[in-house]
Parts: sequence; C-alpha cells; structure tokens
Amino acid sequence: MRVTNMVPDMQYAMQQSQQALASAEEQVATGLRVNQLSDDPSASANLTVSLAQSANVDQYTSNVTSLQSQMQMTDSSISSIVTSLNSAVTAGTEGANGSVSSAQRQAIATQVQGLLSSVVAEGNATFSGSYLFGGSEAATPPFVAASTTYTSAKGSATNPLSATTALTAGSVTTISDATTGKTMTFKAKAGDTIAALQAAVASAVSAGTLSAGASATINASGQLAIGTNNSKDGIVVTSNDAALGTMTAAANTSVANAYAYVGNGSVNSVQIGSDLSVATNVPGNQLLGSGSNVIGSLGSLITALQSGTTTDIGNAVSAVTAALKSVSQQRMPLDNTIGELESQDSYLSQEKVTLTSQQTSLVGANLADAATTLSQDELQNSAVMAAAAKVMPQTLLQYLQP
Amino acid sequence: MASLSTSLNMAVQSLGADTAALQMTNNNIANANTPGYTRETAVFQEVSATSGDGMSSGNGVELTGFQSIRDELLQRQIEQETTAQSGANAQQSTLQQIQPAFATTTDDIGTDMSALFSSISSLSTNPTSTSSREAVLTAGQNLATAFNTASNTLTSQQTGLNTQVTQDVSQINQLTKQIAALNPQIAEVNSTGQDAGTLQDQQDALVLKLSALTNVSITQSDGGVTLTTGNGTALVAGSQSFALQTATGSDGMTHVLDQSGNDITKTLTGGDLGGTIQTRDTIIPGLLNQLDTLANQFGKAFNAAQATGYDENGNAGQNFFTVPTTVSGSAGSISMAISDPALIAASSDGTSGSNGNLANLSAVQTNTLPSGQTPGNAYASLVYQVGSLTSNAKAESSATTASLLQLNNQMSSVSGVSIDEESANLITYQQAYEAAARVVSTIQALFTTTMSMGTASAA
Repeated sequence: MRVTNMVPDMQYAMQQSQQALASAEEQVATGLRVNQLSDDPSASANLTVSLAQSANVDQYTSNVTSLQSQMQMTDSSISSIVTSLNSAVTAGTEGANGSVSSAQRQAIATQVQGLLSSVVAEGNATFSGSYLFGGSEAATPPFVAASTTYTSAKGSATNPLSATTALTAGSVTTISDATTGKTMTFKAKAGDTIAALQAAVASAVSAGTLSAGASATINASGQLAIGTNNSKDGIVVTSNDAALGTMTAAANTSVANAYAYVGNGSVNSVQIGSDLSVATNVPGNQLLGSGSNVIGSLGSLITALQSGTTTDIGNAVSAVTAALKSVSQQRMPLDNTIGELESQDSYLSQEKVTLTSQQTSLVGANLADAATTLSQDELQNSAVMAAAAKVMPQTLLQYLQP
Repeated sequence: MASLSTSLNMAVQSLGADTAALQMTNNNIANANTPGYTRETAVFQEVSATSGDGMSSGNGVELTGFQSIRDELLQRQIEQETTAQSGANAQQSTLQQIQPAFATTTDDIGTDMSALFSSISSLSTNPTSTSSREAVLTAGQNLATAFNTASNTLTSQQTGLNTQVTQDVSQINQLTKQIAALNPQIAEVNSTGQDAGTLQDQQDALVLKLSALTNVSITQSDGGVTLTTGNGTALVAGSQSFALQTATGSDGMTHVLDQSGNDITKTLTGGDLGGTIQTRDTIIPGLLNQLDTLANQFGKAFNAAQATGYDENGNAGQNFFTVPTTVSGSAGSISMAISDPALIAASSDGTSGSNGNLANLSAVQTNTLPSGQTPGNAYASLVYQVGSLTSNAKAESSATTASLLQLNNQMSSVSGVSIDEESANLITYQQAYEAAARVVSTIQALFTTTMSMGTASAA
C-alpha cells in the first residue's frame, strides 16, 4: 500500500492512547470504574436499585434503634406495674390477716392507693410525646379518673335539649366504663337525634359494654346527662358533636379509685425488614384490662381494706394476683419483640455490608487493577509519542541533503 | 531524414515537458497538506515517429496534460461514513449533556424516591411527630423537584436543538449553492477532454462538508454532480441549487421544508442535521415519555394510597401530589398538593396515633405500577436507557472515526501526495531536464563545429 502521510494515524493513535490514559487516571483518582452512566449502563441501573435497598436498610436500622428505646421504655413501665401489683398482693395479704387492726388496714389501703396511682401513672407513660398504652389514641392520657355523671355544654333550662334534638352527622361520642373496662362508641348518622344516642347507650348496657344502670337523659337544666346511676361505677364521656358541646364531668361525681380507659385497642406495626414488621405497642385495655381488670382489682382491694371483711380482702387479693398473672403474660410477647429487634439489628448490619460490597463491585474500581492499567497506559502513551517522534521527521529529503 | 535541427527541436520539446512536470511536482509538494487535494501526475506521450529512407526515427516526447488520481467509489464511501459519524456525534453531544441528570447524586430521582420512603418508614415509628411529618413533606417536595429538574433538562435540550436545525439548514443551503456554481465550470473543462483537477477537488470538499450535515445521494456525470437528500428531495441539479427552508411547526419545533414547502423533517437522516432531528424528535421524546409515565403513575399510586387512610385530623386522606390527568408533561408539572404536615394520611382508623396507612404508602415502593414495574425498577430502566443510548452513540462515533481513518488512509494511498515520491520525481525530472539541456548544448557544439567546417578549410 502506498503510504503518503502518517500524521493522521499518529494523531489517532495519540488520541486513543491519551483517552485511555485519562480514563485510567480518573479511575485511580475517584476509585470508581463507572463515573458516568454510559461507562456501564447496566451497572448504573443496578446501582440505583442497590442504593434504594441500602436506603431501606438504613431506615430499618434506624427504626430498630428507635423501637429498641420505645420497647425498653414499655418494658420498664410494665415491670413497674408488675412490681406495684406484687406489692399490692403483699400488702393485701397482710391486710387479710385477722390480727391486723382497722387502723392498720386503713394505712394499708392508703399504701395500695399509692400503688394504684403508680400503676395509672405507668399506664399513662409517654415516649417521644406519645402515650405508650393508648393504642392509636396517642395524644391523650389513656387512663382518666372516672365520674358517675357527664353533662353536655349545650342545653339550658330555657333552651333545653330533647330526644328530638338533631345530632351532627359524622360526630363521635364515646363512653368509657371504668368497671367494665370497655368503651361504647356512637357515630351519628345523618338524621340521628339524641334519641338514637339514648338507644345506643341502652343497647351497650344490654351488651355489657356499659355497667348496668348507665343511661343518657335530659336533666333538669336541659342538658344531656350521661351517668351510671350509682356511686361506684365511673365513666368518662367524650363527644365532638357540636349539638352537644363538650361533655364534662359533673361536679362532685368523681368515683374514688376508678379510672376509665379512653384509648383504643389499635396496635401499630413498624417495618424493620423488607418482609418483617413488629408490633410496637400494647394497648392499655389489653395490658390492664384483658382477662382481669388490673385497676378495678386494685380499686376493689382498696375498698375491701377500707370497709370489707377479711374474706372480701382475700378475694380482692386473689383478683389482684390474677391481674398480676395477666400482666406478666402480656410482657412475654414484648420481650420476644425486643429479642427480635436485637437479632434484626445484627442482620441489617450484615445486609448493609453485603449491599455496600455489591455497590463497590458494580461501580467501584479495583485499585490494584486500575493502578496497573494506569501504568500500562502511561507506558503505551510514551511508546506512541516516541514512535511519532521517530517516524514523523523521516523523509527522503533528509537523506538527499549534501 | 534526421537533422541537427530536428534533434534540437526534440530537445527543446523535452525541456518544455520536463519543466511542466517539475511545475506539477512543485504543485503537488505545495499542496501536500491541503485537505481534499488530489495529486496529479504528468501524462507524457511519445511523439509519432517519422519514416524516410527506409528507416523510422522517434520524434521525442510531448506532455499531453496532467491527470488527477481519483477513486470515486472511495470518495463516496468517505462521504457516507462522514454522514454516519456526524449523526453519531450529534446524538452523543446531546446525550452527554442529558446523562448527568440521571446520574446518582444527592438529589436525583432515585435518591429522592428512596428518601421519601425512608421518611415514611421513619414516621411509622412515631406517627404523631410533627418533625417526622415535615420530613415526609420535604422528601415529597424534593422528589417532585427532581422530576421537574430531569424533565426540564430534557425539554431544554430538545428546544436548544431547534437552533442547531436552523444553523444546519443554513449551512446546507450555502454549500449546495457553491456546489451548483462549480457544476458548469467542471462541465466546461470536461468537455475539452481535460481533467477538472482543482475544480473537482473543490467540489468534492464541499460535498464532503455537506455529507457531514445530512445524508445525500450523489450522481456524478461529466456535467458535475446531482445531489438529493436521502428521500429524493432535490438539492443540486446542474447549475441550480434548491434551498431548504425552516418553519416552526404546531409542536413548537423547527421543521425543515423543501423548496415547495413540503415538510421533509422526518425523512432527513444522518449527518449533524439527521442526528439532531433524531435526538430531538425520537430519543428525547422517548425518554420524556418514560419519565412522564413514571411521574404520573407514581404520583397517582401515592395519592391512591393516601386516599385509603386518614390524616391527623381524622379526615380522609387527600392527594399528596398534584399530577396531571394525562401522562404527557407529568414529570415537568408534578408538585405537592399539600403543605400541612397534619394532612399526611398516616392513620388507618382516623385516630392520630395510628400508623396503619403508612404501610400502604410504603407499599407503593414495592407494588407494581401500571407500566409493569415497581417505581424503583422503572427508574432503573430509565437510567439504563439513558446510559445505553449515550454509550451506543459513543461507540458509533468511535467506530465511524476508526472506519473513516481507514478510508482516508486508503484515499490518501490513492490520491495523497507523498513527499518522498515527489522528491524522487523531482530528481527524475531534474535529471531529464539536465539531460535535455545537455543535448541542446551538444547540438549547439555540433552546430558550431558544422558552421566552422568551411572556415577552417579556407584558412
């Protein structure tokens, strides 16, 4: 082949060599084999998926850390409740002894009242501003001192409410009973009147949700009065119905040692793995009301100590013992969750390492290889330059010069 | 019969031929680095012999002309490869500017999508936390902005290419005008049986420049070249050139029209113009459609999940994103529909502390969109698409560059000037000239001898 000009070939060879050298230098400098999408489109696409997985793992890890604190707090509160109940059983057993004087029983009753307050305080414990045992009603204390009667803000002697007073569609009225430990929820439909609410209360009494005797009536002041009709059963009433106004406890109707649960039974779950979620809370009605009513049993023990017989006290102690057993059972799933969080934390750490390794293999440069390539490319570049310097000045004219 | 005069004429004729050959060699050397120059060779021809007295004697040499050494087939191949290279370069140039918008950074779509789901997961640990709710809103806003930015990058590149189309058409019109002007001159030279040489070189160089702008069909004849676009739209015929025009279409893009006003935009392929049009009208719209589909389907899926829950006030969840009803333009216009953190529908039962619906919002990450892919995989496909298109354009550009180098080497082998070769020719013609001059000198001596013959006898 007739060769006329080697410059284009040399220029092309130099460009290729310099591009290879620049690429090798970039890999060594950045530590990355893929510096732009076009370097390896498939690896770039897989990297976005892998990074999303990493972000999830990071968040699951953060969730685990957060939940561990919350679970420890929950466990600590339940532990305190168990301690209080144990103390109550010990105190009640002492009070059931026939040799104990009346004054001593009163003192023991006071001691148990203190324990009840502690249990309620733990039941209203918060974590990061949310009530631990309120179910999903996390914004208000789940255990509220109960009263025998609640009255509506609306209604007066001159402008009384009546059974035909229309309720606001969609409004919710709840009645939580301290004795039954249950809550009746009435959601007004369009066209509902106070008569519908009264009928719902009567049905709840029949169903055992509310204590016998509970009713909704219009009192002499023209207000809606929801009450239990006796001095020992307490309730807590809430309503967001504008036709009724705020429901408040009537004066001097509070029931000693009675607390109604105004939370709900919802259990939240939090994802701590791609296919793993854990329950994050124990609703108060399940913890202190499931099987045996813990607060009710302590209230009964206080009443027995104050005015009952040794048999009454003995029965009340048995009830508290049963409640203690129930609370202890509730603690087991919680402990399992804490263990699960620990093992998941460990798994997520490994998963993070795996993903990081995957990402490195996708786009990272093998530094040993990159350095070797750089060295080779430098050598190649030098060789190309040397060849150009040697070949390009060669012309026949050089040899023809005298 | 041979005579000194005949010999002298022969020597002078030889001097003239060698002088012309030296001049041609000089011209070859002078244009050794001129792009598009085709080397010339001197065509010597033996002058017919004369016969007499039973013998025939030669009458020397004559220079019949100069011949450019061309290979039309190679020239056409170079033009075709140049068209392919320019098209690939045009695509590569734009895609290189697009791909950073889809690279993994702190605020790309993939990262912001992950951040949104992380913020939702974080909120699930404390659904009443205002700061966690604010974080979800911020992450949602960041994702919407990332969609907007990516869409703007694509549309601004698309719009910017309109300017390139206008410039290319303007250059094509200038070149076709110049090419058409050369046609009659070449035809005239060819009609005399001479080599068009320099004129042909100029026209070939212009056609090559035109090939870099668009794909052209070339028909070569003695009357010059006839040029059409790939689909047959006339560009040059004889001394006439047909100017292309540009006009803004109903889609807001610059369209190319032939001289009669017919829209030929879709038929233009190859070259900078073809590559630019393909990038503007096919590649970018394809990417935009993928991006819009993802933004639209993701936004709607998220809104649907939001609607299954309740906000912090106990009301049914309202739209989280504002998404257009049609897919087109979704990525560019997706925005936040809410600004109040309380409106995030975390609750599944209407109570503020419930996180039940956050599982539905999180599930958007793993659920399949109507496109058949999860949002993350749909985005990964888009990333792959951008990377792959850029990589292919780079590879095409690189391959055509190498191929073009080889073709140019072949062309250079045929038509290029070799300094070594010309140096040798220079010596050859110099020696031939010197020899002819020696003949003249010898004949002059013979003449002198002859003329002095009588003088010597007389003396």
